[in-house]
Amino acid sequence: MDLFLGIDVGSVSTNLVLIDYEGELYLRPLYLRTQGQPITAVQQGLVLLKEQLTSEDRIRGVGTTGSARSLAGVLVGADIVKNEITSHAVAALHKVPGVRTVLEIGGQDSKIIVLRDGIVVDFAMNTVCAAGTGSFLDQQANRLNLSIENFGEVALQAENPVRIAGRCTVFAESDMIHKQQMGHSLSDIVAGLCDALVRNYLNNIGKGKEINPPVVFQGGVAANAGMRTAFEKALETEIIIPQHFDVMGAYGAAMLARDQTSEQGRETRFRGFKVSSQDFQNCSFICQKCPNACEVIEIKQGKELLARWGDRCGRWSVTETEAGCVPV
Amino acid sequence: MKIGIPRALLYYYYYPLWREFFTQLGLEVVLSPTTNKGILDAGIKNTLSEVCLPVKVFYGHVSALADKVDYLFVPRINRVEPKAYICPKFMGLPDMLKARLQQMPPFIDTAVDAGMDGNPVQCWVDCFQEVGSKFTHNHQLVNSSIAAAFRTQQEFQRRLTGGMLIPDALENDCVPEVAATSQQNYTLRIGLLGHPYNLYDAYISMNLIHKLQSMGSFVVTPESLSVDEIEDEARKLPKRLFWTLGKRMIGSALNFYASKELDGLIYLTSFGCGPESLVEELVARWAKQQGNLPYLMITIDEHTGEAGMVTRLEAFTEMIKRRQKHENHLSSHGEPLHSG
Repeated sequence: MDLFLGIDVGSVSTNLVLIDYEGELYLRPLYLRTQGQPITAVQQGLVLLKEQLTSEDRIRGVGTTGSARSLAGVLVGADIVKNEITSHAVAALHKVPGVRTVLEIGGQDSKIIVLRDGIVVDFAMNTVCAAGTGSFLDQQANRLNLSIENFGEVALQAENPVRIAGRCTVFAESDMIHKQQMGHSLSDIVAGLCDALVRNYLNNIGKGKEINPPVVFQGGVAANAGMRTAFEKALETEIIIPQHFDVMGAYGAAMLARDQTSEQGRETRFRGFKVSSQDFQNCSFICQKCPNACEVIEIKQGKELLARWGDRCGRWSVTETEAGCVPV
Repeated sequence: MKIGIPRALLYYYYYPLWREFFTQLGLEVVLSPTTNKGILDAGIKNTLSEVCLPVKVFYGHVSALADKVDYLFVPRINRVEPKAYICPKFMGLPDMLKARLQQMPPFIDTAVDAGMDGNPVQCWVDCFQEVGSKFTHNHQLVNSSIAAAFRTQQEFQRRLTGGMLIPDALENDCVPEVAATSQQNYTLRIGLLGHPYNLYDAYISMNLIHKLQSMGSFVVTPESLSVDEIEDEARKLPKRLFWTLGKRMIGSALNFYASKELDGLIYLTSFGCGPESLVEELVARWAKQQGNLPYLMITIDEHTGEAGMVTRLEAFTEMIKRRQKHENHLSSHGEPLHSG
């Protein structure tokens, strides 16, 4: 079967999705933890996929997205490397055709995408601060001795959610400790935390945006039933969570890869599943050619230089013959 | 005798004026290098954490010049037009510098103040008269230097209103990276708001202009507008803004909206800018009222990771392109324009 692969390498998770020409899922999507090692995570994902494919299956196109999209793109030989906004929007539109608002909360990022007639007309992403994203929930769950998987269920049992400051992670945490010390129940605190995150999200990212239904909620945090309820309460509308809410970025990337390769009718640049067993070295060095002291990153496969980036002037990205990293 | 001028803050508005004046007086002007990591680090080290990024950068430039010049030109700029003030941080700049930096060459910190009814030219004439008298008793030389300085500044402004971006207009003196790119082969017309010391400092803006151009955008900045054009629009506010630079942003935004020639508007602000926190909100609301002109706000601070900015710019330009494609697509299915 002809398949298209989408890879979303984010700060917390690395997701891989296979689809067919019709945009239907093939096999179960993979949701892996990145754990600070994007290359390894992508390789692992490829191994897991390959095990399940038959000899008839062919990868006809690959798309990458997420914060490590360039790295992943070089690694696997992507046909298209796309930002997260477009990828998420494309996937949401496929699953919920009339969607007008996409709420997405991931590991370090949160965004809102406003669509009209199937076109992105506005979007916003969180600024430098990662308050109110998945990582924060993860940490707090850990601190409360809850597994993140149970977090949402606990929140749903709340009777009187407490009010917690949502503006800043640090303040939210001290507020939460205070409420614990005062003797509030765990579920009330957890639900309060969900409300705080939603408030923070709507005030920061959703500020001034027209949030009209249908509203789709995706990204890893959509797994949290407490967050869904908090959104429904705040927006007074039904929140749709697509079945594969946690891999929508990768889904979108796969669809974009399909469009790209079939529109141009050309062969994929996919380097094959052998990528998973190849040895890649990534290293970085500080360029000393000028006072900017750029941190340049270099990706090599054996002796072959695949890519370099991070330099402001472009000398390293262009002069590929120059020696960059000193082998240790 | 060497006069140091930091390549930061109001340098971007006034450098030709300043340089010409001192050069005509027979002094050597020394400009600090373009912003780099070393300069930013030095600036951050020497400032309090609450000042905005461009002020931190200014400190870095002052440090870079400290042991290379006999004097540092850091005028105390209060008002450059009647009934409006420059940013409060600029007014106190000489004092802030003296409080934090040791072993500095003497500052030339003469005040520039248009007062309640002065004008944008006279305030500089007054300043230069005073500065000139420190170096020479030849009044005629001072006066001719001032006249030459204004001619140079006029030429600079003529280039800007002609559509040149500041680095190009400064020529020979400035940032080559931005200057080198020509504004051809574009598919989008993007308005770019922001203070010149953020927009044109390729280091702190992470080369925003160049990035936009390489994504196929023609970049229009407030510098292409004349003071009158900006003022006419800013006057439409229910209450006149009393911050000169904020008024410039609002007036430019309103002019951009009125001209209806833009495909989108980007506002680059620096974290911690007081006036901008209000102005950016006003601009965003207008963007919405103007038929939802695509609008993006980018806040810069000390972080150097470019990924966030690239993602936003990419998504923004792509959104506009898809929107246009979609709109064209729709109209082609509508009523035929010419029948028969």
